[in-house]
This record gives sequence, structure tokens and C-alpha cells, in this order.
Amino acid sequence: MYLKVESLEKRYGHLVPVSGLSFSLGQGELLGLLGPSGCGKTTTLRMISGLIHATSGKIIVGGHDVTHLPTYRRNMGVMFQSYALFPHMTIAENVAFGLEMRKLSKADIAQRVSSALSMVRLPALGNRKPLQLSGGQQQRVALARALVIEPDILLLDEPLSNLDAKLRDEMRNEIREIQQRLRMTTVFVTHDQTEAMAICDRIVVMNRGKLEQIGTPHEIYERPSTPMVADFVGRINRIRCRWRDDGAIAFGHTAIGAVSTGPAGSEVLVMVRPHRIELRSAGAKAGRAEGENTIPGTVRQVTYIGDSLQYAVESEGEKIMVEQATTSAGDTYKPGDAVTLNWRARDTLTFAAEADV
Amino acid sequence: MKDSAAVDQSNSSRRAAGVVFGLLLPILIVNIIAFVVPVLNLAAMSFRSATAIGSLDEALTLSTWQSLLGDTFYWSILWRTVWMGALITAVTLLLSYPLALFVSRRSGWVKTVLVVACISPLLISAVVRTYGWMVILGNQGFLPALIRASGFTPPRLINNEFGVLVGMTEILMPYMILSLLSGFGRLDPILDQAAETLGARPLTVLRRIVLPLSLPGILLGCLLCFVLAVSSFITPKMLAGGRVSLLATEIYDQAIVTLNWPLAACLSVFILFVFGAALLAYGQLSKIVD
Ligand SMILES: Nc1ncnc2c1ncn2[C@@H]1O[C@H](COP(=O)(O)OP(=O)(O)OP(=O)(O)O)[C@@H](O)[C@H]1O
Ligand SMILES: [Mg+2]
Repeated sequence: MYLKVESLEKRYGHLVPVSGLSFSLGQGELLGLLGPSGCGKTTTLRMISGLIHATSGKIIVGGHDVTHLPTYRRNMGVMFQSYALFPHMTIAENVAFGLEMRKLSKADIAQRVSSALSMVRLPALGNRKPLQLSGGQQQRVALARALVIEPDILLLDEPLSNLDAKLRDEMRNEIREIQQRLRMTTVFVTHDQTEAMAICDRIVVMNRGKLEQIGTPHEIYERPSTPMVADFVGRINRIRCRWRDDGAIAFGHTAIGAVSTGPAGSEVLVMVRPHRIELRSAGAKAGRAEGENTIPGTVRQVTYIGDSLQYAVESEGEKIMVEQATTSAGDTYKPGDAVTLNWRARDTLTFAAEADV
Repeated sequence: MKDSAAVDQSNSSRRAAGVVFGLLLPILIVNIIAFVVPVLNLAAMSFRSATAIGSLDEALTLSTWQSLLGDTFYWSILWRTVWMGALITAVTLLLSYPLALFVSRRSGWVKTVLVVACISPLLISAVVRTYGWMVILGNQGFLPALIRASGFTPPRLINNEFGVLVGMTEILMPYMILSLLSGFGRLDPILDQAAETLGARPLTVLRRIVLPLSLPGILLGCLLCFVLAVSSFITPKMLAGGRVSLLATEIYDQAIVTLNWPLAACLSVFILFVFGAALLAYGQLSKIVD
């Protein structure tokens, strides 16, 4: 493992923004740091870069303990959430700064600055000052400035938050491409789960300063270890029920099947993603597959959002959201329609009710 | 419709201009009565000449100006004034800058306390503070006594340019610190951190980031302190013991002691040119800085 963080903790008096945080990355790995606002992502990044001192814990890079090394000797490229461009320097001078610190020749610097600026699609703006650029342009300059020094570790704090949707996707893939080409070990902070899923090798989900789960995007999405993770990485229904003694979950008059089971009578939190549920007309006798849940319900509300239709379905007194891709056939249900909800048992996520917060 | 809207707009902008003028009027009147008229009066007086008993001659004459500009004595005073002003300003800046930087990097009540501590000397009159320096630096004072006690002969610390430098620096430091603090606006600590992550050592950060960004504050502080240094006469008079003549002290002597008001007026106008030059330099430099 190239970068190792061991039981990192930061305290400000009574406030503990980060505690007991441990994870590690292999060389060239892109790790996402995902979590709601204020969960300690920036604080973690600043500890790794040495800008703030960890109250306790260790940071190890390539086998060396760097916990007490000053920032300027860590060779980490940092992109700040607020960009932190030098207002008195031009864009080119901003990007060149790190190279000057590394005492490169003038010609070398000029060449690398211009290639870095074209990499972030700003080749013509080298002579402007940061304040003459839009927020998104400034963000890309900040990215170029962090990348151009070819750091051992790249730390990106919400690098794409200010870009429009299209540019955001482009830059996201660009970052991934550059990161893989240079095999740069990268920590990528974001609170956008799609972004994290799309490009990260693995994701750390944080909540209230603690690690909630670490795993590949697939693991995080399909097998979230806590309700918080399940909730954070995508829309999801949550229903409180009880286990029956036959291993199924009591849901009004019917039952829900899940892969796991729990002690009979104890409370359970059931979570199902809206787009994993299929709607069928109540009468339709579709062949019921093995291990499939079928629950009757009534459509209460339909919301059309372009590429999908969202149904609010009432079933056994609970409101369950269902999401279906729209088709040109336009065969949709209307409020009041009697339907059945169908989903596979393995798409039923269950959590002990105490885990719910 | 369109027309009435346009009329409305021009009406309201005219009203806004009227409000602005109304608000400026009081300070304008005060400034004219208390500043412009006296300065013009002074300028007029410099074209008179004084009789032996100190009264003013009615006739307009260039003789005072001629004797002033033709006398190398006054040119040497001008030179010494500018030089001392620059030296005092430079030393004040050197001593104030680290302090101001330190204060600006604190937060909360610590910062408040430090700011108050920095400007609290202004609560005590410059005369009293200068007396304090006379007690400390004077021949029988605290510092020479200390030097004597450790077996050395103390150099003269007062009644010379050194004394003036020490006194003036201490008097001016609060002004410099305040100007610097107000000019540190663009100086976000996150910029230092960004530079650090790019590999800049603390001294490099100071040279490449902190200093350039605080230049506006430095320029403002220097202008303020230079003007104050050149125009102050109480402290130089007390600490120079009549051995260092500067423009301001010379004006005082001519006006109060010799009663040669035209010459004092000439010197006053002369000093205005120094200020004008300082302002011009400030304007040019701040344009470059931006
Ligand atoms: N210098 C500080 N002093 C006291 N509390 C701080 C300090 N810096 C951060 N915090 C607190 O630590 C917590 C975590 O902050 P942090 O900036 O790491 O959150 P974040 O996950 O980056 O959030 P966001 O997504 O909004 O950027 C916040 O509650 C914040 O108020
Ligand atoms: Mg943050």
C-alpha cells in the first residue's frame, strides 16, 4: 500500500471533525472520499497534505512516516475547494509556481505550463489574472497547478463542483485518464456519489468524522454496510418491519423475502432501490420467478422527469417509490391503478433497526 | 410609457446625485473653512516680507522666496527632512510588519486584544510618550545608566538624529500597523498553504506570496508615516535638543521664535511640495502594484 492513514484523529476543543479514520491506497489508485457536507472530508485531506496537524494517528507514504513532515517536503499536489489561486500572478505564473520551486529550466517550465493548460482546456488564458476568469475556469487552473508538478500523491477537494454538467463529465473522465496515464495515487473528495462511482477504484464513505464503509463502487452500492451508506449513494425506500419466524419479513398481510434473516419478532429496516422494483398491472399473471417479491399496491402519484417515471405507490399503508425508465411506447400507470410491485429478494437490503439513525 | 420610464430614471438618478451632494456638503464646508482658506492665506503670506519688528509689509514681494531658494541652509534642511522621514518610515515598517502579520493571523478575542494593544499607545499624547523617551535615553536616563553599570561608556542617545529616529518610530508604529492590517485584506492564509503544497518553504512563501499581496498596505502605511514624520515637530524638537533642524521645527522657530511669518509661510508651502511629491510617488507605485 502506497498511502496509509492509520487511526487519524483531529480535535478542535470539544469538536472532533475526524476520528479513528484508517484506510490505504495502492500506488496509482484513485480513492474517493465521499460523504455529506461537514463530515470531515476536507479536514482529512488537509491532514494528509500536512496543512493541519493530526491530533493523533499516522500518515505513511511509500513506507515512510510523513506525519510530522512539513507540507513543502511532501510533494503532494493539492487542489483546494476554494481554488486558492494566487491573485497577483497570471494563470501561467500560477501554474509555473510549483515548477519554479523545483528549479526547472525556463524553457522546460514554459513547455510544461502550456501543456498543462491545454490539458484542462484553457490554452489561451495564460496571461489573464485569476479574477478575470469564471469560477469553472479558475477551478481548472487550480487542477492544472496541482497536476503539473507530477506529485507523488494528488489530493483533490471537490475539483468539479463548479462546472456545468457537460464539462463536469468531460473533466471527470479527463482527470481519470490523466491519473491513470501518470499512475498518480489520488484521493478525490466529493459529495456527489455519481462522480465517485464513475471514476474511483474504491470509495471511502464518511459520516460525522468516521469511516462508514470502504469498498469498490459496486460493493458500496450493492452491499452497503449501513443504512447511511445505502441512503447516501442513491435513492432508496426505507420501511420498518419485523422478522417473521419463517425467515421472511412481515409486511402488512404479505411478506418480503430477503437474502439474510434475523431473529423472529425483532425490528428490521428494509431498504429497496426504486429502480430495482418493477410495476405490473394487478391482474397480469406474470410467471412469478423464484425468490421474487410480489406486493400489491395502488399508484398514488406519477412524476415524469424525462428519462424516468417516478411512481409513488401505496402498499400496506406505506409509501414506496418506484422508478422506471420511460419508453416511447408510453404504456404508463395512472394514479388509482391497482398494481403489483416486484423485485428480487437479493435486492432487499436489511439492516438491524438500531443501525438506523 | 417608455418615455415616462426614462424620465423617471433620470429623475431618480438626479435625486441620488442630490443626496450624495447633500451628504458631502458639511465636510466640504468644513474643509474649505479649515483647510483650503488657511492654505491659500499661507501661500499669500509667503509673498510678503517681514519688518524687523515682526509685522508684515503690505507690498507683495518675491524676496522671501528668493532668500529661501538661494540659501543652501534651507536646501540642506529639506534634504535632512526627507532623509530622516524616509529612514523613520523604513524602520517603522521593518518593526511593524512582522507584528501586523502576526496579529492578522490570529483570530477571535486574541486578535482583538492584540489589535487594541497595538493601537493603545495612541491613547497617550505624543508629548508624554516623548518625555518617556527622554527619561529612557537622556544622559542620566535609564539606558545610559544600564550601559554605565555594565562598564561601558554610553554613546549619546538623545539630542541627535538617533534620538529623533527612536522617538518618531515608536510614535508612528500604531499608524503603520493599522495601515498594514487594513491592507492585508487579500492575504488569505490559504494562499500560503497552496504555495506550501507546491513546495515553497516558509521564506519563499513570504517573498513570493505574502509580501507582494501586502504591498498595498505597505505603500499606504509608508505614505502615512512619511507625511506624519515630515510634519511632526514636537517629538523632533524635544529629542533633537535644537541640534537637528528639520523643516517642521524650522517653521516653528521662524513663526514662534523669530516671528518671521513670511519665511515660515514659505517653508510651509515648501513642505507641501514634499507631500505632493510623496502623494505622486504613492499614486504611481500603487498603480504598478495593481
Ligand atoms: N479550524 C476549525 N475549527 C473548528 N472546527 C472546524 C475547523 N475546521 C473544520 N471544522 C469543523 O469540522 C467539521 C468538518 O469540516 P470539513 O471542512 O472537513 O467538512 P467537509 O466534509 O469538507 O464538508 P464540505 O463537503 O462542506 O466541504 C465541520 O463541522 C467544521 O465546522
Ligand atoms: Mg470540504
